Amino acid sequence: MAISYILLFILSFISISRFLVISKAGAESELVADLLTLQSQSESGVIHLNDRTVSKFITSTKTPRPYSLLIFFDAIPLHDKSDLRLPVLVHDFALVASSFIANHNGSNTKLFFCDLEFRESQSSFKLFDVNSLPNIYLVGPDAESLKDDTDQMEQSGFTRLTESLVEFIESRTQLTVGPIHHSPIISKKQMVLIIGFLLIWSPFAARKIFAGETMFHNPRIWLSGAIFVYFFSVSGAMHIIIRKMPMFLMDREDPNKLIFFYQGTGVQLGLEGFMVGFLYTIVGLLLAVVTHVLVYVKDLKTKRIGMLFSVFVSFWAVKQVIFLDNWKTRYAIHGFWPSRWN
Amino acid sequence: MATMPASASDLLKSFKLKTKQQELLIRVSILCLVYILAFITRLFSVLRYESMIHEFDPYFNYRTTLYLTENGFYDFWNWFDYESWYPLGRIVGGTLYPGLMVTAVLIYRILRFLRFAVHIREVCVLTAPFFASNTTLVAYFFGKEIWDSGAGLVAAILIAVCPGYISRSVAGSYDNEGVAIFALLFTFYVFVKAVNTGSLAWSLASAFGYFYMVSAWGGYVFIINLIPLYVLVLLITGRYSMRLYVAYNCMYILGMLLAMQIRFVGFQHVQSGEHMAAMGVFFLMQVFYFLDWVKHMLSDTKLFQAFLRITVTSAVAVGGIALGLGMVSGYISPWTGRFYSLLDPTYAKDHIPIIASVSEHQPTAWSSFMFDFHILLFLFPAGLYFCFKRLSDATIFIVMYGLTSMYFAGVMVRLILVATPAVCLISAIAVSATVKNLTVLLRSKNKVVQTGSTKGSGGSKSSSKALLDQSQPFQKNGAIALLFGAFYLLSRYATHCTWVTSEAYSSPSIVLAARGAHGNRVIFDDYREAYFWLRQNTPQDAKVMSWWDYGYQITAMGNRTVIVDNNTWNNTHIATVGRAMSSYEDEAIEIIRSLDVDYVLVVFGGVTGYSSDDINKFLWMVRIGGGVFPVIKEPDYLVNGEYRVDKGAAPKMLNCLMYKLCYYRFGEMMTEYGKPPGYDRARGVEIGNKDVKLEHLEEAFTTSNWIVRIYRVKPPNNRW
Repeated sequence: MAISYILLFILSFISISRFLVISKAGAESELVADLLTLQSQSESGVIHLNDRTVSKFITSTKTPRPYSLLIFFDAIPLHDKSDLRLPVLVHDFALVASSFIANHNGSNTKLFFCDLEFRESQSSFKLFDVNSLPNIYLVGPDAESLKDDTDQMEQSGFTRLTESLVEFIESRTQLTVGPIHHSPIISKKQMVLIIGFLLIWSPFAARKIFAGETMFHNPRIWLSGAIFVYFFSVSGAMHIIIRKMPMFLMDREDPNKLIFFYQGTGVQLGLEGFMVGFLYTIVGLLLAVVTHVLVYVKDLKTKRIGMLFSVFVSFWAVKQVIFLDNWKTRYAIHGFWPSRWN
Repeated sequence: MATMPASASDLLKSFKLKTKQQELLIRVSILCLVYILAFITRLFSVLRYESMIHEFDPYFNYRTTLYLTENGFYDFWNWFDYESWYPLGRIVGGTLYPGLMVTAVLIYRILRFLRFAVHIREVCVLTAPFFASNTTLVAYFFGKEIWDSGAGLVAAILIAVCPGYISRSVAGSYDNEGVAIFALLFTFYVFVKAVNTGSLAWSLASAFGYFYMVSAWGGYVFIINLIPLYVLVLLITGRYSMRLYVAYNCMYILGMLLAMQIRFVGFQHVQSGEHMAAMGVFFLMQVFYFLDWVKHMLSDTKLFQAFLRITVTSAVAVGGIALGLGMVSGYISPWTGRFYSLLDPTYAKDHIPIIASVSEHQPTAWSSFMFDFHILLFLFPAGLYFCFKRLSDATIFIVMYGLTSMYFAGVMVRLILVATPAVCLISAIAVSATVKNLTVLLRSKNKVVQTGSTKGSGGSKSSSKALLDQSQPFQKNGAIALLFGAFYLLSRYATHCTWVTSEAYSSPSIVLAARGAHGNRVIFDDYREAYFWLRQNTPQDAKVMSWWDYGYQITAMGNRTVIVDNNTWNNTHIATVGRAMSSYEDEAIEIIRSLDVDYVLVVFGGVTGYSSDDINKFLWMVRIGGGVFPVIKEPDYLVNGEYRVDKGAAPKMLNCLMYKLCYYRFGEMMTEYGKPPGYDRARGVEIGNKDVKLEHLEEAFTTSNWIVRIYRVKPPNNRW
């Protein structure tokens, strides 16, 4: 089918000798068919290239090629470097690829998504003159030299790869990508199973609730949950999650030193928040220990020491937090006493 | 030391008949003092500056209140405001919460009736402090309901000066929250009272409290979700009772019907996903009641259990199917972005820049908690602990209120406000219980200690200490020392609150204050200068384009039509303005002409060092503009991900309209000794483009400190 279509297409538009056309179209359609099989063999639709296939599909074909190739440059040894985020990018790239193929019902022969791995295709990396990762190149139908005629995606696009990749493809190839099919967190089958489970489970749960036998009837669990929510909020954990704050910073001048506390209101580091959150919580917890654990201790001396210890720790915690807060916000809080008192 | 308590008790004995009355007298006078204190501590801003409306949103509220006093309620209800969102306009009556305005006008009418010749502005300025005072009263009664009258008094005192609440209720901050926190706490108090008594009258009152809250603030969604959650927890923990049934059903049905009378809310109670939890719990309640009845009728337990299984399964299934059908058919709308961003906090950052751009929607750092709660933060876990040791329907409520609001406060800075009453109440329980036990210990003789402590709130610090320290000679001294410690902490709290109120929360932000070189206070009144210039020198029908932050102020004070304002209902319109600001001048002029703009207003802090100006807000304009018009791309304005305005800035940045309007003629100006001309004091750099030439716009007015700059759009050149 595809062969005859391309045949018709080329027959009506190009007026060269008939045999030449057929032989050229034959070679080209063979390449496209190869690409399609490779694409269908891969799970996400990303074709894995190597030095041999690069030469087969790109360098040794004559321009214009009937297809464009979008190549993602990957290096497996660098996957554990967290600042490159290669695994995330690989995933996003595959997502765009599978969405593109699904949106075109697999009938697209204009654009193929490929990846190249550094260890097995070093010479191809040289051909493209790629020295840094991550990198994405678009090899258009007319590209002769891989260094000069190819389109490189801007580095700024890698922060939100799916969106910027779609933009990149649509602006350079005039093809539409269509909606991205994010894989749902729960598949439909799982959904049905979960609903079924809930339906079966609910009467049993209801009976237990009526009888008052669940763990929800235990105030201790509620109490520890409550303390956790409190700790979570006041330590600014939300701030850390939303802003993606690191736990601590490296000192720029002295790389051996770590910075745990950041001066300035409205910003905080991870460990800093947890430390202060702990200080906030400890006073209340000590009160609980004194009133409900220490009471049962028989030895008078231990009791006294425990008492004194908790009083001093509480005092220290309050003082420490106030000191840190004044340091962080740079406010000098003072009372408004009559001036003659000074 | 030992004679002191003895003589005190002698004194008490001689007035034995009057002890109750004495206590009442002391309590009432403390409450009166707290009432006054809550009011006067919020007057710092009036003393420092003058009696005026603060910030941005209050100016809109003031403008509508003015309209309400002049034209009456029905005109207000049907008001179409053509001065904002030009050329779209805004249906004001249907897009605001009228509670605040109606309240202020009511107070105004009463004062007029009593022959006090006040201006409506004074009423508006003082509405928030007045309601803060009322909140202290509600806090007292709430504390009394949860714990005892001592805790109520402490709660009233704590909330009177707590910075978390003062931040939104100083004199002049005429905003919905000022009234709404009162309404919120009142609704909660009356609902808890209704649950405790099971009385229809109290639940009716809570429905009306809820109605007032709905009319005043969008935060009512918190109530309509917290109360069902509370009821659900009570059901799960086996605390279902007839009292709860009466209280919740009455409150929900009546409250819902009343809330539908507010046009801005309309039928959301039955249509929007945010309100579905309340409805679900309502039906669950009926199922519970029904089951209880069947259990009562069926004597056989096995039969009942089989019945239970069938009913619960079918109830859950029917509810799920109904909800699913509602969602699919579009009858029940899904959650709105703001609500969604509370549950999944990272949502707003990725999807809704207009929410993420507002500074009060930022996630909270620990120092903000410390700043707004101070010592209460340490007392909160202790209070939680006391609540758990004396679990009742009321304490469960306050614990849930405290925890949910604490979580939300962690997500958004502004929601600290909602958490404040809960934190004050729970901390008050801790303070009151501790102090009470310490004083009991002090006043009683050794033998009485044991009975006294078991009578008092069992399980507190000193009572157990009293039990164990029977033989210890130091226990009274220890108690005195601990008391002093507690009072020291509380006095530090008072100091902190006063300082914070005076220095941080009493600034009107329309008049700016800074410290001069000699430590004296310098006032920058540029905003009002600019707005009055607009009012006096521009044609009546002139349209002013600015970033949305200043929209309300321009319409209220300058009395001119604006393109966008702080009611951010139309994202595309705002994005159009953002796009104009971030384009080159000749592209921007097309947009400006298409919007029929006559004047462009920018805020610039380079001369004074005022940091929240338009250059610092500019990236948000780019982001919001780029969200709708993809031609605007954030990386074009950045250099290696860094935002700069000096020589190394991105070329697009140096030539966009906003940059030009801010830095026009700035390159020839000396701002600081020893620095080159064109030194931007807000960012501390020498600007990169000193030779700014304007083609289609001309400078019309620049205020004395250059904070506001207004440009006139030149008419098109005559074409021959």
